[in-house]
Amino acid sequence: MFMNTNTRLVSPEFDYLQPKTLAEAFTMLADHGGSAKLLAGGTDLLVQMKMERQQPSHVISLSRVKELAGITEGDVLTIGATTSIRDVSRSGPVIAGYTALQEACNAYSTVSVMLMGTIGGNICNASPAADTAPALLVHDASAVLRSGKATRTVPLRDFFTGPGKTVIQPGEILTAVELPKPAKGTGSAFLKISRVVADISQVCVAVVLVRDGDTITDCRIALGSVGPTPMRMKQAVGALIGKRGTPEAFAAAADIVAKDITPITDVRATEKYRRHVSRIIARDALLTAWQRAAEGAAK
Amino acid sequence: MKKHTVHFTLNGSPREYTVNANELLLNVIREQEKLTGTKYGCGIGECGACTVHVDGKPTLSCLALAVSVDGAEVVTIEGLAKRGELDPLQKSFLDHNAVQCGYCTPGMIMIGRNLLDENPEPTEEEVRTHMRGQLCRCTGYASITKAVMGAGKPAPEFKIPAE
Amino acid sequence: MQSTEFKTIGDASWRKDGIAKVTGSEKYAPDISVDRMWYGRVLRSPHAHARIVSVDTSAAEALGAVCLTYADVPHTRYNERIVSTPPCLYRDRTVVADKARHVGEALVGVAAPTEALAEKALRLIKIEYEVLEVITTMDQARKDGADPIHDTVLLDGVDKPIVNNVAVRRTIDVGDTVKGFAESDVIIERKYKTSRIYHAQMEPKSVVCRPEIDGGITVWASTQSIHNTRILLGQIYDLPLSKVNVKKVMLGGSFGSSIQMNSVTPICVGLALKSGHPVKIASTREEDMHDHVRYPSEITLKLGMKKDGTLIAGEMHAEIDIGAHNIQAYPFLGGFGGFWASLYKLPNMKYVGTAVYTNKTPSCAMQGFGAPQVHFAVESLMDEIAHEMGFDPIEFKLRQYVGLGGTFWGQGPASKCIIRSDGVPELLKTGSELIGWDKRQKSGSQTGRMRRGIGMARGFHTSGVGHAKASGAEMIDYSGAIVKLNEDGTVDLIQSLMDHGGGTNHAISKLVAEELGIPNHMVGISPCDTRTSLYDVTTHATRGIYAGGSAALRAAKVVKTQILEWAARVLDVLPESLVIEPDYELGQGVIYCPNLAERRMTVGELARYLHLNSLGTLSSSQSLRMVNCPPAYVSYYVEVEVDTETGQIHSRRAALGSDCGTVVNPALASGQLIGGLSKGQGYALTEDNQWDPKTGELASKGFWVDGKTPSISESPLVGDIATHFAHTYEPTGPFGAKGLGEAAKNPAAAAFANAVYNALGIRFYEIPITPEKVLAALAEQAAGKANKTGQATLKAPTPVAE
Repeated sequence: MFMNTNTRLVSPEFDYLQPKTLAEAFTMLADHGGSAKLLAGGTDLLVQMKMERQQPSHVISLSRVKELAGITEGDVLTIGATTSIRDVSRSGPVIAGYTALQEACNAYSTVSVMLMGTIGGNICNASPAADTAPALLVHDASAVLRSGKATRTVPLRDFFTGPGKTVIQPGEILTAVELPKPAKGTGSAFLKISRVVADISQVCVAVVLVRDGDTITDCRIALGSVGPTPMRMKQAVGALIGKRGTPEAFAAAADIVAKDITPITDVRATEKYRRHVSRIIARDALLTAWQRAAEGAAK
Repeated sequence: MKKHTVHFTLNGSPREYTVNANELLLNVIREQEKLTGTKYGCGIGECGACTVHVDGKPTLSCLALAVSVDGAEVVTIEGLAKRGELDPLQKSFLDHNAVQCGYCTPGMIMIGRNLLDENPEPTEEEVRTHMRGQLCRCTGYASITKAVMGAGKPAPEFKIPAE
Repeated sequence: MQSTEFKTIGDASWRKDGIAKVTGSEKYAPDISVDRMWYGRVLRSPHAHARIVSVDTSAAEALGAVCLTYADVPHTRYNERIVSTPPCLYRDRTVVADKARHVGEALVGVAAPTEALAEKALRLIKIEYEVLEVITTMDQARKDGADPIHDTVLLDGVDKPIVNNVAVRRTIDVGDTVKGFAESDVIIERKYKTSRIYHAQMEPKSVVCRPEIDGGITVWASTQSIHNTRILLGQIYDLPLSKVNVKKVMLGGSFGSSIQMNSVTPICVGLALKSGHPVKIASTREEDMHDHVRYPSEITLKLGMKKDGTLIAGEMHAEIDIGAHNIQAYPFLGGFGGFWASLYKLPNMKYVGTAVYTNKTPSCAMQGFGAPQVHFAVESLMDEIAHEMGFDPIEFKLRQYVGLGGTFWGQGPASKCIIRSDGVPELLKTGSELIGWDKRQKSGSQTGRMRRGIGMARGFHTSGVGHAKASGAEMIDYSGAIVKLNEDGTVDLIQSLMDHGGGTNHAISKLVAEELGIPNHMVGISPCDTRTSLYDVTTHATRGIYAGGSAALRAAKVVKTQILEWAARVLDVLPESLVIEPDYELGQGVIYCPNLAERRMTVGELARYLHLNSLGTLSSSQSLRMVNCPPAYVSYYVEVEVDTETGQIHSRRAALGSDCGTVVNPALASGQLIGGLSKGQGYALTEDNQWDPKTGELASKGFWVDGKTPSISESPLVGDIATHFAHTYEPTGPFGAKGLGEAAKNPAAAAFANAVYNALGIRFYEIPITPEKVLAALAEQAAGKANKTGQATLKAPTPVAE
């Protein structure tokens, strides 16, 4: 339908279901199969429905499913799928140990959208531009996917399969993301370039560095808005691990990043610009993460 | 499409509505209640003009299904002044001339109120962070920043560069 | 004259519509609901250029909807902005179109009992299109054999053929430019380009129309002029004006986009008349984006001067892509040339303005009309010349600007006046001190990643379109006001003049209070409509306080005379011996005789006396046309910070000065300036609209953020913005006041471009100066190439060290 980007109405008609438990949600999902959509914060799904890119027969709201919300610390940090971006950004353990994620959450759209939007929604939506995705990737997060029968844990690096596409199977619900404890000497950072602050990124980058003295012992780099999915940068990482963390080394790695990405030209930026600023913000994020790693404090 | 009966309190008074599943909170407030202080600006969460409080949290009513707020406390701009007494932030908007055409004002005040509830003396940076989702085309935001800060400590004054 | 001499003018009172606005009770057009109201939606063309072969609305009607097609509406073309007089009014519109000329063109209106049903019905309408060549550029439009977007337009009752899609051309010639350039020692020519940005007013255009039992209509619409809306609706639907009533409702921003009657208004009326139901159409944001954008421009500017910098000749060619409809290209091109003529003294000038149709969103006025475009070119070039020839830009401009005693072209050749108040020297001095102009770095001398630059530009806007000629006006320009004394001494001000939000109505109520000598709060701004108010042309051309205020002041003066005459009888003194002063403790105006202390009464006591003795209501109804159009001068000093690695430019500091004569609402005036900075920053650095060159589709597809409207985060910190006002008094204005609104934006783009030059040593001739453009220019600079593609220095100045 033409000209329905931002109507006052949601035109598609659907039935609304509001399970109170995960078990109920699985039953509903089983009953309505592929024509049902899960609703978390709604900041993306409702826009998609207004545009009629999504026309589900049933909308299953997860907002009352208590098991899905909240952050718990154990062997890993478990962030429930319907935890709001805002709650993630203000969580003590996230602030203490996962700086890139916290910065990604703080850079996320606007405060109202942070309050409504959820971490699960942000990654299930599988936008190449999702701010939290590169951060979760560098924190080595995994997605916990449950169905009525089974639970599986998928590393986030294997989670995205294309724009708007993930490995989630029919009948499965993303219940949480899990983040392993950061190694000693870890520093991380997230940077985003956008046309105006509240905009979707032109490019965003997240970095984790682990340092032992002057040596980089581990590294992960991921970028958003530079390819069909959020991308991990293996080549650049390879060029850094085992090396001394110097501005030159970081600049060289950033050059590799700019070569390896596969950006397109769209309304937000040209391919050329995306490559150019990827190099700048990858370098800056590496330098910042390196600094933070030195500051020690389990960041 | 099944109709739903929804209960929530609107500006303190309990309400019951029969709505379609696809009905937006914005339209229930504006069309059924004729509380038109909550504005449609963009329909997709880009401008903040439709901001209301749902259980104390700023919510974009253009992206919230009415069925989803069942059981909640909803407060709109009309519910902010108590018994004819303006909220201090409403007064501050008037004192600082932070109102021009006024179309963004309800949303601005609702999100500003939320900030001040969390943080009665925000810094300018905190105001900018919290209000970045509210568009205003008239004021250039300076008077609005001052109005929100004015409820706490006053905003800084302009300084002529020193020699 | 200092504002401190006033009792009410210049005070910091709460604006009178403030409480309604902060409590959400103020009503804007989208907020209006009436009994039995239906909802309208508009079917808009997905094609940029297509003939309509057939329209089938049967399925929609089977749902119970009422449809309005081209067959249902009058076929006589009209122009939606009836500010211009008939010889200047190019009519190319009908209520819904017979042919799609841009993506989003309104083709069919649909009304139904609910908006959801109207939406459903809209989807069932079948239109067969014959798709035509899509013309998205001016070059394409003017090519021989290009599909004509309009074959003809209606001009003063005559069908005027449109050749090569050129809508209008206007020329202005002063002196002899051939001789002037021949005598020039230095000639510099530059090409500038400005973009088609979206107004991004917060309120999407909306309208409610209620058909009345007597065959008339009542209309609530987003508009800058309720009276022009009324006249036009009367003309289109052949209704006597006494049966067309347009209500004044608050305007949620507009910035020029509702000088014309917006496209949804006559559709809504047509639907209401056809269905017999009140109908409301509230545009969606996306529809609104397809309805109006700012006039863009491509400007070639050539200036010739003597060795000492004295300008002696200028030539400007302006080409304007007006999109699919000619809303106001004729006055725009006139204003464009006039603004140029009024910036700097040019004994010889030649101007050619051309407006070209394309298959894009129609362009129209936006804050500043043509002035922001002209200021960008002229103030950029003046800065460049000053640098090239080694003059201080401020001194260079002060030496040559059109000031006191000069001729100001308010809005094109037909509206001129002699300048009687001029705060320019004060503005430029104060602004330069506030920003630290003398401490700015040498242009292009910085080397780090983050580079700061300070730029300045000056300019003006007109205050209305007044002029002294008795006839032959290109534009209608008059205002009306009714002032009446109520039975308790309070006053009603009844005026159709719309307030954009800048506080115009509040300011005018203060002028009335000042004149009458009563406390400000005693003057109420009445709700009104076209039936109960006098004509006001429209709130445009920065004329609100100057023209509308003058009309109200004239009415207030009459009422004051009446008050004094009656009070004189009651107090048994001569009227000349009485004065009225506000007593804020008493909450009344007090009438007294300074020489006889006991002879005093309040205005309220007098009003009660008149009432109880059946002596009648004191009132005056005045209509006024101004004979001057004084310049509202403004100065801009801005500081930017350029990130040379990402290309992003941050707006960091600003000192904004206004010469609006007497300042009526100081805080709101300051807010106007800062609002101008915000919009000006968007215009200069980020905002743009792109259309797909093949399909003519708007690239943003309705997403606001793609328009890159600045948010609070992009704005300078509040402690880094200073505003200041010149101490002037405009003798032709109400209590010395003149305009401000549009001036607040006009020099912004040039100031930012000049600041970027100061930071980087690179001139930008095209706005917005996006990060991509900055990076490309920095790369050229690094490669030793100047960013001067297509720019010509015809006679070079002697190089100077800066």
